[in-house]
Amino acid sequence: MDYVTMLLPPMLKGWTVTLQLFFMTLVLALPIGVLMGIARLSPIKPLAWFMEFYVWLFRGTPLLLQLLFIYFGLMTVGLRMERFSAALLAFVLNYSAYLAEVFRSGIQSIDQGQYEAAEVLGFSRRQTMTKIILPQVYKRVLPPIGNEVINLVKDSALIYVLAIAELLRVAKTAVMRDGTFAGFIMAAGFYLLMTAVVQQFFKWLESRFNYYR
Amino acid sequence: MYMLQALDIHKRFDHLEVLKGVSLQVKKGEVISIIGPSGSGKSTFLRCLNRLEKIDRGYIEIEGEIMVENDNHGRASYHEEKDISRLQRKMGMVFQNFNLFPHKSVMHNLTLAPVLVQQVDQGEAETVARQLLEKVGLSHKAQNYPFELSGGQQQRVAIARALAMNPDILCFDEPTSALDPELTGEVLRVIRDLALEHRTMIVVTHEIGFAREVSDRVIFMDDGMIVEQGTAEEVLSNPQQERTKSFLGTVLSAW
Repeated sequence: MDYVTMLLPPMLKGWTVTLQLFFMTLVLALPIGVLMGIARLSPIKPLAWFMEFYVWLFRGTPLLLQLLFIYFGLMTVGLRMERFSAALLAFVLNYSAYLAEVFRSGIQSIDQGQYEAAEVLGFSRRQTMTKIILPQVYKRVLPPIGNEVINLVKDSALIYVLAIAELLRVAKTAVMRDGTFAGFIMAAGFYLLMTAVVQQFFKWLESRFNYYR
Repeated sequence: MYMLQALDIHKRFDHLEVLKGVSLQVKKGEVISIIGPSGSGKSTFLRCLNRLEKIDRGYIEIEGEIMVENDNHGRASYHEEKDISRLQRKMGMVFQNFNLFPHKSVMHNLTLAPVLVQQVDQGEAETVARQLLEKVGLSHKAQNYPFELSGGQQQRVAIARALAMNPDILCFDEPTSALDPELTGEVLRVIRDLALEHRTMIVVTHEIGFAREVSDRVIFMDDGMIVEQGTAEEVLSNPQQERTKSFLGTVLSAW
């Protein structure tokens, strides 16, 4: 027990780093994902093609590789980034690609009749998107977004390869140093706590959207 | 002057020619029914009138303003987007599948377009909406969401939503085809009331009895062409064309 209380402060510190990455990735990647999802369906072909290429690139390679590439790879060409910024950049680029796909499929799942009704009522394209289509998309994509957010909780551990003192790295250091795996169990507890919160939050969000079908 | 003129409309989907030169001229206050077998092009024709489908060749003008005309090569050339949008708004549309906005209450379904598109004040839009809901017999459903309503009620809301934009011509694309038989009556009643107000209407329908009752003119389409048109009496009771006779024979024998 004493050991746990001793380990708790550094673990909590590592956890705040994890949380920072988690929230900053979400805040940036969600809106970017929406825009990219719309761009992917753009009538401007080069834009749609570029988005398809982008999604392929970032879904088609390991996030770990992207992290290493952005930090170490860019360093070799003289572009030196702060570790956490490099990690955040990799996460935002990667998660935007996944979220863009979620939003794209969500937008495409909306019945064509909704666009037609909006058109004959005189809505502009932008109004149709923001007032009619996207509000319905948000409801439909909640379950797949929930999946991505749970993944993000766990993927955050990957940044330990950049020697950033996040949750898992703190745990691993303690385990190596003290020869007991209590650190791993504590880390697992933190991850489970985070995913539990995410799961409940999405359950609540989905119920909030239950007022219509 | 005609409210709407559509001349020599041609439309194909890939290799399928669905409209082979259809023309229609609509006068103010006229109620027109378009009947015909499925695949005859009647819905497509209606959808061409407000550019939900683009035509390949032909001419459409609404209240004297040209929406589309042929260029030098005989291909349809549409006017500017903002003009088309304005002309589209002169035409209300009621769809087979209602296409209500599921995430908006009945009241908001009716006020959204007037407020956003016509910049009507929200309170004023709600007053109008309440009058229209009363007209279609759904005053008590203003705060409900579409999924809480029956199909017949949803279609009546859709009619009220179209009316909220105060269109000059009201188009109905098989308004009762998606409804259970016992629910068609309430929708047809609403459309009949509108006909009695001498609203200009074009109704694509399978309801022959209804067409006979409300129409000033009945148009029979088959195979992408108008086969026959005239008063309800002429077309439905005394058809001249073989195709009209055989169609009416199959439809009416089902009753």
